[in-house]
Amino acid sequence: MAFRWSRWSPQLALLPAVTVTAVAFVGAIIWTIYLSLTRSRRLPEYGIDWSEPLRQYTRLFADDAWAISLKNLIILGLGSALAIVFGFILAAMIDKEKRGESLFRTVFLYPLAVSLIVTGTAWRWLFNPEFGVEHALHSIGLTWINFSWLSTGETAMYGVILAAVWQSSGFYMALMLAGLKSINSEIWSAARLDGVNLFRLYTEIIIPMMKFTFVTCAILLSLGVIKAYDVIVAMTNGGPGQSTYVPAYFTIQALSAKGNLGFASAAAVMMLVITAVIFLPLVMLTAWQQRRTGRAAH
Amino acid sequence: MSDLTIAQKMLGGEVAVRSAPYFPRKKKRITGRSIAIIIFLSICAIFFCVPLYVVIITSFKTMEQIREGAMFSLPNVWTLEAWDHAWNSACSGINCNGLKVGFWNSVQILFPSLILSIGISMITGYALALWNVRWAGGFLFLLFICAFVPFQIIMFPLISMTAAIKVYGNVWGVAIVHAVLAMPVLTLIFRNYYKDIPQEIMSAAVMDSGSFWKIFVEIILPMSGNILIVVLILQITSIWNDYLIGVTFGGMGSQPMTVNLANLITISTGTTRYNDNMAAALQTAIPPLVIYFFVGKLFVQGITAGAIKG
Amino acid sequence: MPKVSFEHITKTYGNVPVLKDLNLAIDDGDFLVLLGPSGCGKTTLLNLLAGLIDVTDGRIMIGDRDVTDVDPKDRGLAMVFQSYALYPTKTVYGNLKFGLSASKLPKDEVERRIAWAAKLLQIEPLLNRKPAHLSGGQRQRVAIGRALVKNVGVFLFDEPLSNLDAKLRTETRLEIKKLHDTLKTTIVYVTHDQIEAMTMATKIAVMNGGVIQQFGTPDEIYERPANLFVAGFIGSPAMNLRKVKLSIANGKTEAVFGSGVRFDLSDYRFATAPQDGAEVILGLRPEHFLVGAGTAADSAATFEVPVQYAERTGPDASAYFVLENDLLALRVEPAVAAGLKPGQVVPVRYLKGKAHLFDAQTGQRM
Repeated sequence: MAFRWSRWSPQLALLPAVTVTAVAFVGAIIWTIYLSLTRSRRLPEYGIDWSEPLRQYTRLFADDAWAISLKNLIILGLGSALAIVFGFILAAMIDKEKRGESLFRTVFLYPLAVSLIVTGTAWRWLFNPEFGVEHALHSIGLTWINFSWLSTGETAMYGVILAAVWQSSGFYMALMLAGLKSINSEIWSAARLDGVNLFRLYTEIIIPMMKFTFVTCAILLSLGVIKAYDVIVAMTNGGPGQSTYVPAYFTIQALSAKGNLGFASAAAVMMLVITAVIFLPLVMLTAWQQRRTGRAAH
Repeated sequence: MSDLTIAQKMLGGEVAVRSAPYFPRKKKRITGRSIAIIIFLSICAIFFCVPLYVVIITSFKTMEQIREGAMFSLPNVWTLEAWDHAWNSACSGINCNGLKVGFWNSVQILFPSLILSIGISMITGYALALWNVRWAGGFLFLLFICAFVPFQIIMFPLISMTAAIKVYGNVWGVAIVHAVLAMPVLTLIFRNYYKDIPQEIMSAAVMDSGSFWKIFVEIILPMSGNILIVVLILQITSIWNDYLIGVTFGGMGSQPMTVNLANLITISTGTTRYNDNMAAALQTAIPPLVIYFFVGKLFVQGITAGAIKG
Repeated sequence: MPKVSFEHITKTYGNVPVLKDLNLAIDDGDFLVLLGPSGCGKTTLLNLLAGLIDVTDGRIMIGDRDVTDVDPKDRGLAMVFQSYALYPTKTVYGNLKFGLSASKLPKDEVERRIAWAAKLLQIEPLLNRKPAHLSGGQRQRVAIGRALVKNVGVFLFDEPLSNLDAKLRTETRLEIKKLHDTLKTTIVYVTHDQIEAMTMATKIAVMNGGVIQQFGTPDEIYERPANLFVAGFIGSPAMNLRKVKLSIANGKTEAVFGSGVRFDLSDYRFATAPQDGAEVILGLRPEHFLVGAGTAADSAATFEVPVQYAERTGPDASAYFVLENDLLALRVEPAVAAGLKPGQVVPVRYLKGKAHLFDAQTGQRM
């Protein structure tokens, strides 16, 4: 076939993106996986000790801080799931009661516009043991309330969760609201005619209809939790002790503070594995949805 | 993603139907249930506003009043001392030149990041959506996967690469990494938008001109207004709010405002000046908040379109 | 010399063949209509000619040039699309100008051509408007204008009238016909509307299932449909097709209906020798029936059939009768239709020399 410039120009235009993908994503991932098999410390070493290629992983799983990180990941994930529940309740109420919709929406979503460092700063101040909310409550006589969660290892994670829920509920509300609006308005009329009570209408009809939205929210939340880093830095810096370590924080700490490249790479690879475990259902879900919409189009 | 836009369209249609002139909407009587819902929502709204309120009033207080411990009370004397101090002389590490340093760094990072990230993803989205590229499907899938990759797994290689091309530790390094990390998601957003341009318009353009770039500049770019603004807002806020890339690639001299703020609140020597901290937090939050309160609708569109960014 | 020719064109998508070894050639100045139901491959064929998609196998010639591997913009064609495909952000003027962007003409020539096309199509007052502020008919004109300014030898039309209302469609049809008469260019026009095909074309290619069923002038297509598909597709109401038995006795060829009615075929010009007792399909056009009994001299057969219903379609009317448990469609005078009562049994006769016969197995004209 003859050479046609028109055929090549789009491919040429894709060159930067392809290069970036190949080098900065695919190449970099392979590089890190390779490093995780080496004994690299502050500087990369490229020899692999084949007698024990997985030594970094063995060390990783023997590390107490990593165990705490994984435990915290699960706690943070379960705790942040409240944001989805809370988001759905807010969305359902806003959708039902149209008054003040835009005002409430604006208020619930603004935390999303600011940096997580700012969010962390604000909550760190609220949790301040000396002058924070606890002090304010104690001074009006509610001395039995303990609200300086960040100062002890047992409760610090719950402080992080509270901030995370505050920050992200609006986002899930927006997704849920979009899901609710797409439900055919005739269903509401039909339910009213049938005399279905509101609770049953939601639990038996509306929520099942929105299962795709819920699954999307759950996956987005999981991926967000794995990436959680900024909020930890701003609120606790991993402390007290190592009680609020999460994998993202652990990995960067291993690299920048401890300068342990091979070890950090192994932790990063584990993060990728966790992401893949969550990501796989999403891919399948997307494929399933595309097939469904593809069928509907015919 | 497309589901949401469909939902939005349907929402538009629904509103149009509701406000149709034939059925003047009855003024709904306020029922008990409505009142309960509004009260509940208002309490929630207060919960959402409390941190902002506390941050604002603290930033205007003197340290003396803060030490008294009444967190929720208004300042006895409203003072801009903390604002001035945070902006001009707050310490980030060993440098005590205030957040203004970080502010200007953030501005300097913002513009090249925007141009690079939006430029590359727009062209890529255009080529993938509207031109016949055999491997487009496979590449899109790869991009989709890349959009979810945790930053940590590519962090060290990116540091090495930016060091190799001598941009590590300056504004360009941060800008390039922003562009690289945003490229998969933004490409998918642009590609989905361009996919809806009628095929026949593209066919007509191919027969009229046939030039990849001329069609882009003269036909497609003028049709991209909406999505461009949405993506612009998404990118401005996410670049401005970023901490991780800034702290990793900014080096000592090019750290963005968020890094300054984090340093200020975490590495404290001597007594912590909480009013300074709060003023600094507000100064960092004001640019995205202004955008949010002015073009909130587009902001929401952006974050839902870029939802997979998390 | 053929101006546009397709030689052994094959097009497959994945493993699905859309066009199979297709050959077609038209002369300079022809108005070719590609006619067929949706999915028959007509639009694919047009897009192949335009270069918007690539052939799997075969060759496309325009004049002496093999354009199979030539870029769309360099093929010397202009195309008008079904949805008009006007550039929404450009004014009418900008649309016409962009049509010339590949041609690298001097500025004054560009202006001259735009002025000429705008005058010809009477869109001069619209030049500064955006497509969103034009009516459907106006958009159509601009789309044609954008093709005209290119001053090329071949115009392609992809169902250009399907988005217009009935009145506008008739007007535009005439205008395109007029344009062809004035400019004498070659036109390839895709449609599924047989009226458009019959009124405008100098040549029609009837397509189905990726194969050209018949290629000829409108008259040939109508008078001598090459097979059952063409026979059934062209004409409204559609041709009545009935399975009959041939009977050749005493030098007289007849078609025998199940009910025993004998249909005289003595003036039918067989392409292949008929065989006695063969099963064939007899095609009867609705407009070649007459209500009322006739003589053996002027009619091929007379049927005594009950009226099902009659309907008026404006200037004329259609009547439906029941013949052997199936509807028989007739075109009749409105006055006659008014006199037909449902259930009433009337004699109807078919004119001599107007019958069509098809092989029951192959579906080919006999």
